[in-house]
Amino acid sequence: MTSSDPPAPSRPRSATIIMQPEPPPPPAAARAATATTVKLPDNKPAPAPAAPNLPATPEPGGATVKLVIDGESLEVRKGTNVLEAAKLLGKDICHFCYHPGLSIAASCRQCLVEIEKNPKLQPSCQQIVAEGMVVHTESPAVLESRRALLEFTLKNHPIDCPICDKAGECTLQRHYMNHDHQLTRVDVPKIRKPKHKDIGREIVLDAERCILCSRCIRFCEEIPGTGELGMTFRGDHEILDVAPGHPLDNAYSMNVVDICPVGALTAKDFRFAIRAWELRSTPSTCTGCATGCAIEIHHKHEEAFRLVPRHDPDVNGHWMCDEGRHTYKTTDPAKRVRYARVDGEEVSLGHAIATAARRLRARGKKVAAVFSGTATYEANAALADLAGLLGAERFVVGRAAGKTDALLRDADKNPNIRGAITAAGNARHEGELALELAGRAYDAVLFVDGTFELSEVVRKTVESITSVVLADRVTPLVEACTIVLPTTSWAETLGTMINRQGRLRVLQPAWRAEADRREPADLIREVALAMGERDLGSSRDRTRAIAELHDHAELRRLTADPVAARPTLLRFSHSRG
Amino acid sequence: MTIGVKKVSLQRSMRDQIFLPAILEGLLTSARHFFKNTMTKGMGDVDTIRYGEPDVDPKTYYPARYRGVHRLMHREDGSVRCVACMCCSTVCPAKCIHIVAEDRRDDAEKAPASFVIDELKCVVCGLCVEACPCDAIRMDSAQHMTPTEERAEAVLGKIELMSRGSRSVAVQGGHGADYRATEPAADPRFPTAR
Ligand code: SF4
Ligand code: SF4
Ligand code: SF4
Ligand code: SF4
Ligand code: FES
Repeated sequence: MTSSDPPAPSRPRSATIIMQPEPPPPPAAARAATATTVKLPDNKPAPAPAAPNLPATPEPGGATVKLVIDGESLEVRKGTNVLEAAKLLGKDICHFCYHPGLSIAASCRQCLVEIEKNPKLQPSCQQIVAEGMVVHTESPAVLESRRALLEFTLKNHPIDCPICDKAGECTLQRHYMNHDHQLTRVDVPKIRKPKHKDIGREIVLDAERCILCSRCIRFCEEIPGTGELGMTFRGDHEILDVAPGHPLDNAYSMNVVDICPVGALTAKDFRFAIRAWELRSTPSTCTGCATGCAIEIHHKHEEAFRLVPRHDPDVNGHWMCDEGRHTYKTTDPAKRVRYARVDGEEVSLGHAIATAARRLRARGKKVAAVFSGTATYEANAALADLAGLLGAERFVVGRAAGKTDALLRDADKNPNIRGAITAAGNARHEGELALELAGRAYDAVLFVDGTFELSEVVRKTVESITSVVLADRVTPLVEACTIVLPTTSWAETLGTMINRQGRLRVLQPAWRAEADRREPADLIREVALAMGERDLGSSRDRTRAIAELHDHAELRRLTADPVAARPTLLRFSHSRG
Repeated sequence: MTIGVKKVSLQRSMRDQIFLPAILEGLLTSARHFFKNTMTKGMGDVDTIRYGEPDVDPKTYYPARYRGVHRLMHREDGSVRCVACMCCSTVCPAKCIHIVAEDRRDDAEKAPASFVIDELKCVVCGLCVEACPCDAIRMDSAQHMTPTEERAEAVLGKIELMSRGSRSVAVQGGHGADYRATEPAADPRFPTAR
């Protein structure tokens, strides 16, 4: 991968976040003198693979080039290509093989444009802009070449859109409808190639649908650097394949599904699950690890079906890892906590909140407040306020470490450990929490989510003392706790997290939480109110304060206007790939 | 292509605006049919269809393009022809078709695991038949939906819909060469079955 444009080290707005509008006063008496404080991990450099293709927007102070596209003159960044320059004018030149995050192959010839003083049509993806260039993207010659090339591409295409998972978001379908739109003239049998071939852990290949654009090959070579895919045979019989015994199983393999302009590479996980046009899309952040890749949640009603990466040049570029794609399963409707429980019985939310407040508040109780690296900053900050009121001992817990690499995956599988530590203030480690719970050092414990892993001894303690958990899904901890308050999951919450770079990441609600599920910070506020304490402020208030603190326009818009968070129907958005 | 736009003029003439001539014309038509169908010998051109009587063959009484109860067509091997593309359930204005797809684990790849039509919600518009790219769903069963005692009995499942079906020989893609007429390449490196 060529890294011609290293990511900017820090942007003033989002780097180095100090997220504490009003730190709660530390209750000195409750804090053991020997408490070891959890250290904040160091800022890690942005690992996002820099795109090899420069966007056309001129950099402030950078060199620019003036050119004319379809009679409109514009100024673009020097070194960009004509295709990107045309995007600035809102013209999407029809193309297959070009991808802004990959090297340029110029193999599909779908993007040909006419450039004055040039005798032949030129591929706009490969043509670098030059001073005074005059480009025509809609001249008769261009339109005719587009139409003819599409007809050529479709010559061997099986057109099994009815059973193709890409249908509805297929680039070939879109281009056909926009630029070709004629009946087939092919009257010879099409070339047959392997259909539904299992080529790896996550991917099924339909070689007939492949239009040989080589995007997937370039992805495997340039991004994970594994190079599993390649072309075999030539001409009409050219097929994409893996070498025998070398399946496509790198940690980023599912990105090929997104970049494939047709339905040749499809995900086993999404295979036949739902049609693309039935899905809605909500921008959000992956909660799989500390990287916090920008994603879109694709969902129907109250169920998520897949996660796809969203372009964020500062964090994840165009990509995300396979592990992260499977995290939508944590919102599984079958595992949701929908109603509050007290001592194993389903009760009304008000009753559970009152019970929690009464039991936590009882005189002379020693309380532990457990912050979590998988909960939002808002939830952790609300818990910090409540812990201050209760004089509680603070601990931060999270998921166990996992696999890592130099690209995106972080060993720390907690999306918000920095946020949790910042919010908790002087907090201690989960190992100590387990030891002290086993030794029955507390009369009550309050978990901000269900992440904490229980040993047998600790489970017995949790079952016997007042244990309150704010949970969105059933985990062993939730089963052990005496009071369960139902919260929204990460896909139903408007909230923020802080990733490993110290950047603010935004979670948006994809659908409205059903039943008694409430945002965790709102539940904590209710508990404090039930105790007769001051109003801690709603979850929305906290998000708004963060938006103001960081001057985050998008977040401000989301907190001000609930309609802004409404998902788009994929049917009306662009095709992907 | 098949989609065209028909522009309808909304200009009304003086004659239309007075209404009276049109009303009189309508009354005249009604009166003509009334006398023709009740007073003339042989009762004019109205058939009284004796639905449900044993000697009546409904097929002869339904017009050729009558939209009756849905049926699902079969492939050559008798399995369901539908590929669960969801076109019909998407286009259905009553949202009364519910399909769950499954992997067939053969070359046809996709099929409905369940296919349910709520005939009580159906508005008998026929759009599902128009939308189907596979000639899998039809309404030419020449049966109208009979009343049921329970609502649930009017919610038809795949087995019941297929029981009315028959083999369809339509070729995907319409006219032109059937690319499926050729066998997949016999090269052992191209496994087609999983
Ligand atoms: S790749 Fe696109 S055009 Fe080809 S079968 Fe799939 S949806 Fe249809
Ligand atoms: S499988 Fe898709 S991405 Fe790969 S070469 Fe074929 S069309 Fe392009
Ligand atoms: S006839 Fe119309 S309403 Fe009835 S199932 Fe078909 S599309 Fe739906
Ligand atoms: S449109 Fe036809 S093939 Fe598609 S789901 Fe409906 S019946 Fe099946
Ligand atoms: S996109 Fe330019 S040649 Fe393929």
